Amino acid sequence: MELLLQALFNGILLGGYYAVMVLGFSIIWGVMGVINLAHGEFLMIGAYGAWVLFRVFGIDPFLSLAIIMPVMFGVGYVLQRVLINRVVERPHLISLLVTFGLSIALANLFNVIFTADPRTVPVSYNGSFNILGMTVPIVKTMILGLALLIMFALHVFLQRTRLGRSIRAAAQNKNAARIVGVEVGRVYAITFGIAIALTAAAGAMISPVAPIFPFMGPPFTLKAFTITALGGLGRIPGALLGGMVLGLVETLLATFVPGVGTNVGIAASFVLLVLVLILRPQGLLQGLRPMEVE
Amino acid sequence: MNKILTLIAILAILGGVLAACAVPGGGEAPAGGEEEKVILIGAAVSETGKYAREGGDTRKGYLLWEEWVNNEYGGIKVGDERYKVKLIMYDDEGDPDTAAKLTEKLITEDKVHFLLGPYSSGLTKSASAISEKYNMIMVEGNGASESLFVRGFKNLFAVLTPAGNYTESGLKAVADAGAKSVVIAYEDTAFPTSVAEGAQKWAKEYGLEVLAVETYPKDVADVSGIMSKFKDLNPDVFVGGGHFNDALLFIRSAKELNFTPKAMIITVGPSNPKLVKELGADADYVIGPTQWDRTMSYKDEYFGTAEEYAQRFEKKWGEEPTYQAAESTAAALALQIAIENAGSLDTDKVREALNAMDVVTFYGPIKFDETGKNAGKPMGAIQIQDGDIVVIAPESAKQADLIYPMPPWDQR
Repeated sequence: MELLLQALFNGILLGGYYAVMVLGFSIIWGVMGVINLAHGEFLMIGAYGAWVLFRVFGIDPFLSLAIIMPVMFGVGYVLQRVLINRVVERPHLISLLVTFGLSIALANLFNVIFTADPRTVPVSYNGSFNILGMTVPIVKTMILGLALLIMFALHVFLQRTRLGRSIRAAAQNKNAARIVGVEVGRVYAITFGIAIALTAAAGAMISPVAPIFPFMGPPFTLKAFTITALGGLGRIPGALLGGMVLGLVETLLATFVPGVGTNVGIAASFVLLVLVLILRPQGLLQGLRPMEVE
Repeated sequence: MNKILTLIAILAILGGVLAACAVPGGGEAPAGGEEEKVILIGAAVSETGKYAREGGDTRKGYLLWEEWVNNEYGGIKVGDERYKVKLIMYDDEGDPDTAAKLTEKLITEDKVHFLLGPYSSGLTKSASAISEKYNMIMVEGNGASESLFVRGFKNLFAVLTPAGNYTESGLKAVADAGAKSVVIAYEDTAFPTSVAEGAQKWAKEYGLEVLAVETYPKDVADVSGIMSKFKDLNPDVFVGGGHFNDALLFIRSAKELNFTPKAMIITVGPSNPKLVKELGADADYVIGPTQWDRTMSYKDEYFGTAEEYAQRFEKKWGEEPTYQAAESTAAALALQIAIENAGSLDTDKVREALNAMDVVTFYGPIKFDETGKNAGKPMGAIQIQDGDIVVIAPESAKQADLIYPMPPWDQR
């Protein structure tokens, strides 16, 4: 019983992290129809950002978000204008090629700058405490709290603000959006900036609990792909649901299947993916756009 | 017109970059005149990918040997002649298929005479399958899995202690200190699997009860499922089989879930000073197997003592040698000794010399059994104590006693 509670709690912690990790990927895909294969690399950049700020200036990784997010927003904005904008509205294959190239270039650039030595941010409060016989890991709980906060803020932004509405409008029908006066190019650049800032934030957040190295990205990209397809494109409730389903399935199987549980958990996530693609191609929740094959 | 110019400019830049990349590392072509005798030695070693860290150590070990043999030693002695060495290395990206492809390229296109191994058992497994096919000798120092040596290959030689024996000295030490039970988690690839199989065997041998054995896949991001299950079992000893990143993950995860076994034995990570640098006090009391340490009492006529080798390495690379670097140098040295003993570059003669080899190097004794493993070399164990890596076994190189049990996470 205690083990079950612990497993559920671990699953929710992991799911919350997955949800915030996937947001940026999901938004770019949902709004621009671009599958960002360099997603994991932007996460890696955020993690290195937190590591540098911690090692050089002693800034806590959670506080460093205040620096990393604006900087990465700028990076994303510029990158969209000079690179990604050229492949938006082209066939998927082109954007896949561009972002794949970007991912290789970024990973190797960081390998040159930082070497391949795995890093981690050893924050002093990275321990745990007990509630009702459950072990509560401090950093991961903070990540969950912050993830929920970020998702709530983003949700409000997309639903209530003028800019948020333009983003949704551009996602749903860019021609109609243009007709009513939405500057689609600018909206795309801002959206890309937000997505990259969120992804880098997710990287900074896990810097105290995971090894940081230049080639950490691809598994995250793969996971992001799975979660996005599970939950539905470009929508925050979808990302949350997809992340939670995956986190809980993985953790429960890892805890209760003896011997090969962790492997079974990861295999199960792909079985789920296939099932969802067959039975509910729009994702568990209706996404911003259908997952059409172009 | 403008577009054409831009295109030409881009092509020119690309061409330049490609040309720069194409120049193989190490050694330049002799500047005309008298022809130099050169032995080409090839290796596919990770520069990127999951094993980028350990692959870097491997490269540094090989390059140190290359520089030494060419500049200080004066070239490999073959009969009465001296041969310079030219090392050709490619990046296998941590991918077994790429390692196999590059090995084939080294053999068929670069026409290397001999091969050195990649980093990790998995990559060695695929690379050596190709070298065996072409009847090429591969001496390796970073593939420890027993599964490499049950395939009946006659051209693969490993200077390191096989993976099954990695945890022997560590488990013996904790069993002597009173441990009764053990749990094991390992990555489901070749090397950690051998480590875990060996750990179960040695646990039984030293009277430890194995409470659970868990596997996880190569790119795992979270091991909290395994760790909370282990916490529930409350074992005395945790054994983790994996590579450097996994050591970080295990220690982080154990602390987060307040899983406090009395000892943690983890492969690959703990013997590397960089783990201590990253984890600080959390790395304390972790025990790790070590193939080699600079304090060990081995020496040879080539690199001198283990300590002298370490100093040479520090001078060249500005960092302490890990055992992965030392065993890579040792693999190259074993190949050199075999070529010199054979007095020939002929594969059959060098193979005979390798089979007959019985030497002690700065790295330890090297004597291959009939499958190509280095059977005679014992494995050491280290423990991280107060931020220092100290040898706790074997007896002959011991610097300090084992600290057991390790204190809980919140009492440090």
